[in-house]
Amino acid sequence: MITNAKTSNIHLDKKALKALMRRSDRPGLIYLGSWLGLLAFCATLVMLSVGTWWMVPTLLIYSGIFAVPAYALSHECAHGTAFRTRWLNEAVFWLTSLLYYEEPLHRRYSHASHHTHTWIEGEDNQMPFAPIPLTFSGWVEEILGLGLYCHQTKMFVSHSLGVFSDDVKRVTPESELPRMQRNTQICVAIYLGFAAISIWFGWLWPLWLIVIPRVLGGPIMNAFILMQHVEMAENQPNIVQSTRSFRTNWFFQFLYFNMNNHIEHHLYPTVPFHALPKLSEALTDQLPKPDAGFLNTHWEVLKITVRRSLGHDDRSDKIRQAFPDTPAGETNDTAMA
Amino acid sequence: MTQQWLDACATDDVDDEDLITLDLGGRFVAIYNTPQGFFATDGMCSHEDEPLGDGLVMDGVIECPLHQGRFCVRTGKALSAPAVTDLCSYETRVENGRVFVKV
Repeated sequence: MITNAKTSNIHLDKKALKALMRRSDRPGLIYLGSWLGLLAFCATLVMLSVGTWWMVPTLLIYSGIFAVPAYALSHECAHGTAFRTRWLNEAVFWLTSLLYYEEPLHRRYSHASHHTHTWIEGEDNQMPFAPIPLTFSGWVEEILGLGLYCHQTKMFVSHSLGVFSDDVKRVTPESELPRMQRNTQICVAIYLGFAAISIWFGWLWPLWLIVIPRVLGGPIMNAFILMQHVEMAENQPNIVQSTRSFRTNWFFQFLYFNMNNHIEHHLYPTVPFHALPKLSEALTDQLPKPDAGFLNTHWEVLKITVRRSLGHDDRSDKIRQAFPDTPAGETNDTAMA
Repeated sequence: MTQQWLDACATDDVDDEDLITLDLGGRFVAIYNTPQGFFATDGMCSHEDEPLGDGLVMDGVIECPLHQGRFCVRTGKALSAPAVTDLCSYETRVENGRVFVKV
Protein backbone atom coordinates (compact mmCIF):
# COMPACT_ATOMS: atom_id res chain seq x y z
CA MET A 1 0.00 0.00 0.00
CA ILE A 2 1.42 3.40 -1.05
CA THR A 3 1.15 6.52 1.10
CA ASN A 4 1.62 10.03 -0.32
CA ALA A 5 -0.15 13.39 -0.75
CA LYS A 6 -2.43 11.99 -3.44
CA THR A 7 -3.55 9.00 -1.35
CA SER A 8 -4.16 11.48 1.48
CA ASN A 9 -6.35 13.77 -0.68
CA ILE A 10 -4.12 16.76 -0.01
CA HIS A 11 -3.47 19.27 -2.77
CA LEU A 12 -0.96 22.07 -3.11
CA ASP A 13 -0.55 24.38 -6.08
CA LYS A 14 2.56 23.43 -8.05
CA LYS A 15 3.98 26.97 -8.06
CA ALA A 16 3.57 27.21 -4.29
CA LEU A 17 5.20 23.81 -3.85
CA LYS A 18 8.07 24.75 -6.14
CA ALA A 19 8.75 27.90 -4.11
CA LEU A 20 8.78 25.86 -0.88
CA MET A 21 11.07 23.17 -2.32
CA ARG A 22 13.78 25.71 -3.22
CA ARG A 23 17.17 24.63 -1.87
CA SER A 24 19.80 26.76 -0.20
CA ASP A 25 22.95 26.10 1.82
CA ARG A 26 22.38 29.09 4.08
CA PRO A 27 19.69 27.82 6.50
CA GLY A 28 21.44 24.47 6.89
CA LEU A 29 24.80 26.14 7.57
CA ILE A 30 23.21 28.49 10.12
CA TYR A 31 21.56 25.53 11.87
CA LEU A 32 24.75 23.46 11.72
CA GLY A 33 26.88 26.34 13.01
CA SER A 34 24.41 27.10 15.81
CA TRP A 35 24.27 23.45 16.82
CA LEU A 36 28.05 23.03 16.84
CA GLY A 37 28.46 26.31 18.74
CA LEU A 38 25.91 25.25 21.35
CA LEU A 39 27.58 21.82 21.61
CA ALA A 40 31.01 23.41 22.09
CA PHE A 41 29.66 25.68 24.85
CA CYS A 42 27.89 22.82 26.66
CA ALA A 43 30.88 20.49 26.14
CA THR A 44 33.09 23.05 27.91
CA LEU A 45 30.66 23.10 30.84
CA VAL A 46 30.63 19.28 30.95
CA MET A 47 34.44 19.01 30.95
CA LEU A 48 34.76 21.75 33.60
CA SER A 49 32.24 19.98 35.83
CA VAL A 50 33.78 16.49 35.66
CA GLY A 51 34.06 15.16 39.23
CA THR A 52 31.43 17.53 40.66
CA TRP A 53 27.65 17.23 41.05
CA TRP A 54 27.28 19.89 38.37
CA MET A 55 28.18 17.21 35.90
CA VAL A 56 24.73 15.60 36.20
CA PRO A 57 22.66 18.54 34.86
CA THR A 58 25.32 19.68 32.38
CA LEU A 59 25.71 16.19 30.94
CA LEU A 60 21.95 15.70 30.69
CA ILE A 61 21.50 19.00 28.87
CA TYR A 62 24.47 18.29 26.61
CA SER A 63 23.10 14.81 25.83
CA GLY A 64 19.76 16.17 24.62
CA ILE A 65 21.47 18.84 22.55
CA PHE A 66 23.80 16.19 21.14
CA ALA A 67 21.40 13.35 20.31
CA VAL A 68 18.22 15.02 19.03
CA PRO A 69 19.85 17.20 16.32
CA ALA A 70 22.22 14.34 15.34
CA TYR A 71 19.13 12.28 14.53
CA ALA A 72 17.23 15.18 12.95
CA LEU A 73 20.12 16.35 10.77
CA SER A 74 20.91 12.80 9.66
CA HIS A 75 17.24 12.42 8.70
CA GLU A 76 17.22 15.72 6.78
CA CYS A 77 20.40 14.76 4.94
CA ALA A 78 18.95 11.31 4.12
CA HIS A 79 16.35 13.25 2.13
CA GLY A 80 19.07 15.38 0.55
CA THR A 81 17.26 18.53 1.67
CA ALA A 82 19.60 19.92 4.35
CA PHE A 83 21.92 21.68 1.90
CA ARG A 84 21.82 22.62 -1.76
CA THR A 85 25.46 21.57 -2.24
CA ARG A 86 25.41 17.82 -2.62
CA TRP A 87 28.86 16.98 -1.20
CA LEU A 88 28.09 19.07 1.90
CA ASN A 89 24.80 17.23 2.36
CA GLU A 90 26.50 13.85 2.00
CA ALA A 91 29.43 14.73 4.30
CA VAL A 92 27.07 15.87 7.06
CA PHE A 93 24.90 12.82 6.38
CA TRP A 94 27.85 10.49 7.06
CA LEU A 95 28.93 12.33 10.19
CA THR A 96 25.46 12.54 11.75
CA SER A 97 24.56 8.96 10.78
CA LEU A 98 27.72 7.78 12.56
CA LEU A 99 26.59 9.72 15.64
CA TYR A 100 23.06 8.33 15.28
CA TYR A 101 24.52 4.80 14.96
CA GLU A 102 23.29 3.72 11.51
CA GLU A 103 25.08 3.11 8.22
CA PRO A 104 24.03 5.93 5.86
CA LEU A 105 22.94 3.92 2.80
CA HIS A 106 20.81 1.60 4.91
CA ARG A 107 19.36 4.67 6.62
CA ARG A 108 18.40 6.13 3.24
CA TYR A 109 16.76 2.95 1.92
CA SER A 110 14.92 2.02 5.12
CA HIS A 111 13.66 5.59 5.39
CA ALA A 112 12.48 5.50 1.77
CA SER A 113 10.35 2.45 2.68
CA HIS A 114 8.98 4.39 5.66
CA HIS A 115 7.82 7.14 3.30
CA THR A 116 6.40 4.82 0.65
CA HIS A 117 4.50 2.69 3.14
CA THR A 118 4.04 4.93 6.17
CA TRP A 119 2.88 2.95 9.22
CA ILE A 120 1.93 -0.11 7.11
CA GLU A 121 2.80 -3.29 9.02
CA GLY A 122 5.23 -5.54 7.19
CA GLU A 123 6.08 -2.86 4.61
CA ASP A 124 7.33 0.12 6.63
CA ASN A 125 10.85 -0.79 7.79
CA GLN A 126 10.82 1.81 10.55
CA MET A 127 7.89 0.65 12.66
CA PRO A 128 8.47 0.31 16.44
CA PHE A 129 10.13 -2.87 17.73
CA ALA A 130 7.52 -3.19 20.49
CA PRO A 131 4.02 -4.40 19.48
CA ILE A 132 1.53 -1.61 18.75
CA PRO A 133 -0.68 -0.23 20.15
CA LEU A 134 1.98 0.30 22.80
CA THR A 135 1.58 -0.92 26.35
CA PHE A 136 3.62 0.68 29.15
CA SER A 137 6.39 -1.92 28.79
CA GLY A 138 6.43 -1.27 25.02
CA TRP A 139 6.72 2.46 25.72
CA VAL A 140 9.71 1.82 28.01
CA GLU A 141 11.33 -0.40 25.37
CA GLU A 142 10.89 2.24 22.66
CA ILE A 143 12.07 5.15 24.83
CA LEU A 144 15.18 3.31 26.00
CA GLY A 145 15.81 2.29 22.39
CA LEU A 146 17.17 -1.12 23.38
CA GLY A 147 15.59 -2.80 20.35
CA LEU A 148 17.17 -0.21 18.07
CA TYR A 149 20.66 -0.59 19.59
CA CYS A 150 20.49 -4.40 19.23
CA HIS A 151 19.10 -4.15 15.70
CA GLN A 152 21.76 -1.69 14.52
CA THR A 153 24.61 -3.59 16.19
CA LYS A 154 23.44 -6.80 14.55
CA MET A 155 23.33 -5.04 11.20
CA PHE A 156 26.81 -3.56 11.61
CA VAL A 157 28.11 -7.09 12.10
CA SER A 158 26.03 -8.91 9.47
CA HIS A 159 26.28 -6.22 6.77
CA SER A 160 30.05 -6.06 7.25
CA LEU A 161 30.09 -9.78 6.45
CA GLY A 162 27.77 -9.32 3.46
CA VAL A 163 24.78 -10.98 5.13
CA PHE A 164 21.50 -9.12 4.60
CA SER A 165 18.07 -9.90 6.07
CA ASP A 166 14.97 -10.30 3.90
CA ASP A 167 13.70 -6.98 5.27
CA VAL A 168 16.83 -5.17 4.06
CA LYS A 169 16.73 -6.94 0.69
CA ARG A 170 13.07 -6.00 0.26
CA VAL A 171 13.87 -2.27 0.37
CA THR A 172 17.36 -2.24 -1.19
CA PRO A 173 18.16 -2.92 -4.85
CA GLU A 174 20.48 -5.93 -5.18
CA SER A 175 23.05 -3.80 -7.01
CA GLU A 176 23.39 -1.60 -3.90
CA LEU A 177 24.15 -4.39 -1.43
CA PRO A 178 27.94 -4.44 -2.11
CA ARG A 179 28.04 -0.68 -1.53
CA MET A 180 26.07 -1.14 1.69
CA GLN A 181 28.60 -3.80 2.79
CA ARG A 182 31.55 -1.52 2.00
CA ASN A 183 29.93 1.46 3.78
CA THR A 184 29.24 -0.67 6.85
CA GLN A 185 32.85 -1.85 6.93
CA ILE A 186 33.99 1.80 6.77
CA CYS A 187 31.64 2.71 9.66
CA VAL A 188 32.87 -0.20 11.79
CA ALA A 189 36.50 0.73 11.01
CA ILE A 190 35.80 4.35 12.07
CA TYR A 191 34.14 3.25 15.34
CA LEU A 192 36.88 0.74 16.20
CA GLY A 193 39.70 3.00 15.03
CA PHE A 194 38.42 5.91 17.08
CA ALA A 195 38.00 3.68 20.15
CA ALA A 196 41.54 2.31 19.71
CA ILE A 197 43.08 5.79 19.33
CA SER A 198 41.17 7.02 22.41
CA ILE A 199 42.41 4.09 24.49
CA TRP A 200 45.98 4.45 23.18
CA PHE A 201 46.16 8.15 24.08
CA GLY A 202 44.09 7.75 27.25
CA TRP A 203 41.44 10.19 26.00
CA LEU A 204 38.31 10.40 28.16
CA TRP A 205 36.57 13.18 26.26
CA PRO A 206 35.05 10.83 23.59
CA LEU A 207 33.39 8.96 26.44
CA TRP A 208 32.00 12.11 28.08
CA LEU A 209 31.15 13.97 24.88
CA ILE A 210 30.04 11.24 22.43
CA VAL A 211 29.36 7.78 23.90
CA ILE A 212 27.61 8.67 27.17
CA PRO A 213 25.62 11.56 25.60
CA ARG A 214 24.44 9.27 22.79
CA VAL A 215 23.15 6.77 25.38
CA LEU A 216 21.78 9.40 27.82
CA GLY A 217 20.30 11.50 25.01
CA GLY A 218 18.82 8.43 23.33
CA PRO A 219 15.57 8.46 25.33
CA ILE A 220 15.06 12.18 24.64
CA MET A 221 15.67 11.56 20.93
CA ASN A 222 13.39 8.51 20.95
CA ALA A 223 10.65 10.54 22.64
CA PHE A 224 10.69 12.89 19.64
CA ILE A 225 10.74 10.00 17.16
CA LEU A 226 7.92 8.15 18.93
CA MET A 227 5.60 11.18 18.67
CA GLN A 228 5.65 11.00 14.87
CA HIS A 229 3.14 8.14 14.50
CA VAL A 230 2.36 6.56 17.88
CA GLU A 231 -1.38 6.09 18.58
CA MET A 232 -2.17 6.96 14.97
CA ALA A 233 -3.89 4.71 12.41
CA GLU A 234 -1.99 1.77 10.94
CA ASN A 235 -2.39 0.09 7.57
CA GLN A 236 -4.23 2.73 5.61
CA PRO A 237 -3.15 5.10 2.86
CA ASN A 238 -3.98 8.48 4.40
CA ILE A 239 -0.88 10.10 5.90
CA VAL A 240 -3.04 12.56 7.82
CA GLN A 241 -4.55 9.62 9.72
CA SER A 242 -1.26 7.82 10.32
CA THR A 243 0.95 10.76 11.30
CA ARG A 244 1.05 13.42 14.00
CA SER A 245 2.17 17.04 13.93
CA PHE A 246 2.56 18.89 17.20
CA ARG A 247 3.25 22.42 18.35
CA THR A 248 6.35 23.07 20.34
CA ASN A 249 8.57 25.92 21.46
CA TRP A 250 11.27 27.47 19.27
CA PHE A 251 14.12 25.65 21.02
CA PHE A 252 12.62 22.18 20.50
CA GLN A 253 11.84 23.14 16.90
CA PHE A 254 15.50 24.05 16.51
CA LEU A 255 16.70 20.75 18.05
CA TYR A 256 14.24 18.79 15.92
CA PHE A 257 14.78 20.68 12.65
CA ASN A 258 11.07 21.61 12.49
CA MET A 259 10.06 17.93 12.21
CA ASN A 260 7.21 18.61 14.62
CA ASN A 261 5.47 19.50 11.30
CA HIS A 262 5.54 15.81 10.58
CA ILE A 263 2.35 15.34 8.56
CA GLU A 264 3.56 18.13 6.29
CA HIS A 265 6.97 16.46 5.93
CA HIS A 266 5.41 13.13 4.92
CA LEU A 267 3.10 14.79 2.41
CA TYR A 268 5.88 16.74 0.71
CA PRO A 269 9.28 15.27 1.69
CA THR A 270 11.09 17.37 -0.92
CA VAL A 271 10.38 20.51 1.12
CA PRO A 272 13.47 21.29 3.27
CA PHE A 273 13.24 21.62 7.05
CA HIS A 274 13.48 25.43 7.03
CA ALA A 275 10.36 25.74 4.80
CA LEU A 276 8.17 23.36 6.84
CA PRO A 277 6.50 26.10 8.93
CA LYS A 278 5.51 27.86 5.69
CA LEU A 279 4.28 24.57 4.22
CA SER A 280 2.21 24.06 7.36
CA GLU A 281 0.64 27.50 6.87
CA ALA A 282 -0.13 26.70 3.23
CA LEU A 283 -1.91 23.48 4.22
CA THR A 284 -3.70 24.79 7.33
CA ASP A 285 -7.17 24.43 5.81
CA GLN A 286 -6.58 20.81 4.82
CA LEU A 287 -4.94 19.47 7.97
CA PRO A 288 -6.15 18.80 11.52
CA LYS A 289 -4.92 21.03 14.32
CA PRO A 290 -1.48 19.94 15.56
CA ASP A 291 -1.36 18.41 19.03
CA ALA A 292 -0.56 20.86 21.80
CA GLY A 293 3.06 20.73 22.86
CA PHE A 294 5.73 18.05 22.85
CA LEU A 295 5.69 17.44 26.61
CA ASN A 296 1.87 17.57 26.84
CA THR A 297 1.47 15.15 23.95
CA HIS A 298 4.05 12.77 25.28
CA TRP A 299 2.61 12.85 28.80
CA GLU A 300 -0.78 11.96 27.31
CA VAL A 301 0.74 9.05 25.33
CA LEU A 302 2.40 7.77 28.49
CA LYS A 303 -0.90 7.89 30.40
CA ILE A 304 -2.64 6.03 27.55
CA THR A 305 -0.05 3.22 27.63
CA VAL A 306 -0.37 2.88 31.41
CA ARG A 307 -4.20 2.79 31.25
CA ARG A 308 -4.01 0.25 28.42
CA SER A 309 -1.63 -1.97 30.41
CA LEU A 310 -4.04 -1.92 33.34
CA GLY A 311 -6.96 -2.85 31.08
CA HIS A 312 -8.62 0.56 31.47
CA ASP A 313 -10.12 2.85 28.82
CA ASP A 314 -7.27 3.92 26.51
CA ARG A 315 -9.11 6.72 24.71
CA SER A 316 -7.85 10.30 24.94
CA ASP A 317 -9.63 13.54 24.13
CA LYS A 318 -6.44 15.59 24.41
CA ILE A 319 -4.38 14.27 21.49
CA ARG A 320 -5.17 12.87 18.06
CA GLN A 321 -5.69 9.13 18.29
CA ALA A 322 -6.90 6.50 15.84
CA PHE A 323 -10.06 4.49 16.35
CA PRO A 324 -8.61 1.07 15.60
CA ASP A 325 -12.01 -0.57 15.17
CA THR A 326 -13.01 1.54 12.17
CA PRO A 327 -12.12 0.20 8.72
CA ALA A 328 -10.44 3.44 7.65
CA GLY A 329 -8.61 3.88 10.95
CA GLU A 330 -10.34 7.20 11.52
CA THR A 331 -9.03 9.54 14.18
CA ASN A 332 -10.80 11.55 16.84
CA ASP A 333 -10.23 14.83 14.93
CA THR A 334 -13.96 15.44 14.57
CA ALA A 335 -14.58 14.79 18.23
CA MET A 336 -11.85 17.25 19.15
CA ALA A 337 -12.92 20.01 16.73
CA MET B 1 9.88 0.32 -33.15
CA THR B 2 10.38 3.36 -35.37
CA GLN B 3 10.92 6.58 -33.51
CA GLN B 4 9.19 9.73 -34.59
CA TRP B 5 9.30 13.41 -33.72
CA LEU B 6 6.13 14.46 -31.90
CA ASP B 7 4.94 17.96 -31.01
CA ALA B 8 4.94 17.87 -27.18
CA CYS B 9 4.17 21.36 -25.92
CA ALA B 10 4.85 25.08 -26.30
CA THR B 11 8.10 26.35 -24.80
CA ASP B 12 6.00 28.60 -22.55
CA ASP B 13 4.21 25.59 -21.09
CA VAL B 14 7.26 24.70 -18.99
CA ASP B 15 8.53 27.27 -16.48
CA ASP B 16 12.26 27.97 -16.19
CA GLU B 17 14.04 25.27 -14.12
CA ASP B 18 10.87 23.19 -14.07
CA LEU B 19 9.18 20.29 -15.82
CA ILE B 20 5.85 19.05 -17.05
CA THR B 21 4.75 15.46 -17.59
CA LEU B 22 2.49 14.28 -20.39
CA ASP B 23 1.51 11.24 -22.45
CA LEU B 24 3.32 11.28 -25.75
CA GLY B 25 3.19 8.53 -28.36
CA GLY B 26 2.09 6.01 -25.76
CA ARG B 27 4.81 6.98 -23.29
CA PHE B 28 4.64 9.01 -20.08
CA VAL B 29 7.30 11.65 -20.63
CA ALA B 30 8.82 14.47 -18.57
CA ILE B 31 9.93 17.62 -20.42
CA TYR B 32 12.42 19.88 -18.65
CA ASN B 33 13.21 23.53 -19.23
CA THR B 34 16.75 24.27 -18.03
CA PRO B 35 19.27 27.06 -18.74
CA GLN B 36 21.00 24.51 -21.01
CA GLY B 37 17.83 23.93 -23.05
CA PHE B 38 14.87 21.55 -23.18
CA PHE B 39 15.33 17.88 -22.33
CA ALA B 40 13.03 14.87 -22.06
CA THR B 41 13.11 11.63 -20.06
CA ASP B 42 10.63 9.05 -18.84
CA GLY B 43 8.10 10.72 -16.55
CA MET B 44 8.04 8.05 -13.82
CA CYS B 45 10.80 7.56 -11.26
CA SER B 46 12.55 4.22 -11.86
CA HIS B 47 12.75 3.61 -8.10
CA GLU B 48 9.08 3.21 -7.15
CA ASP B 49 7.03 4.47 -10.09
CA GLU B 50 6.30 7.90 -8.65
CA PRO B 51 5.39 10.54 -11.28
CA LEU B 52 8.19 13.10 -11.47
CA GLY B 53 5.83 16.02 -12.20
CA ASP B 54 6.06 17.51 -8.69
CA GLY B 55 9.81 16.96 -8.51
CA LEU B 56 12.51 19.59 -8.18
CA VAL B 57 14.65 20.59 -11.19
CA MET B 58 17.95 22.06 -10.08
CA ASP B 59 21.35 22.31 -11.76
CA GLY B 60 20.34 19.94 -14.58
CA VAL B 61 19.06 17.31 -12.15
CA ILE B 62 15.49 16.13 -11.49
CA GLU B 63 14.78 15.01 -7.96
CA CYS B 64 11.87 12.62 -7.37
CA PRO B 65 9.20 14.15 -5.10
CA LEU B 66 8.76 11.00 -3.00
CA HIS B 67 12.25 9.73 -2.07
CA GLN B 68 14.53 12.34 -3.63
CA GLY B 69 16.18 9.90 -6.03
CA ARG B 70 18.11 12.09 -8.51
CA PHE B 71 18.54 11.81 -12.29
CA CYS B 72 20.43 13.81 -14.89
CA VAL B 73 17.77 15.45 -17.09
CA ARG B 74 20.07 15.35 -20.14
CA THR B 75 20.96 11.63 -20.03
CA GLY B 76 18.43 10.11 -17.60
CA LYS B 77 21.32 8.67 -15.59
CA ALA B 78 20.47 7.77 -11.98
CA LEU B 79 22.74 9.89 -9.78
CA SER B 80 21.97 8.93 -6.20
CA ALA B 81 20.15 6.46 -3.96
CA PRO B 82 17.46 5.35 -3.79
CA ALA B 83 17.45 5.65 -7.60
CA VAL B 84 19.77 3.15 -9.30
CA THR B 85 18.09 2.47 -12.66
CA ASP B 86 18.53 5.11 -15.36
CA LEU B 87 15.54 6.76 -17.01
CA CYS B 88 15.15 6.60 -20.80
CA SER B 89 16.05 9.95 -22.29
CA TYR B 90 14.68 11.31 -25.53
CA GLU B 91 16.04 13.73 -28.13
CA THR B 92 14.37 17.12 -28.20
CA ARG B 93 14.34 20.08 -30.55
CA VAL B 94 12.67 23.49 -30.41
CA GLU B 95 11.02 24.99 -33.50
CA ASN B 96 8.78 28.05 -33.68
CA GLY B 97 8.14 28.09 -29.95
CA ARG B 98 7.23 24.39 -29.83
CA VAL B 99 9.11 21.53 -28.17
CA PHE B 100 9.40 18.36 -30.24
CA VAL B 101 10.41 15.04 -28.71
CA LYS B 102 11.65 11.97 -30.56
CA VAL B 103 9.85 8.96 -29.06
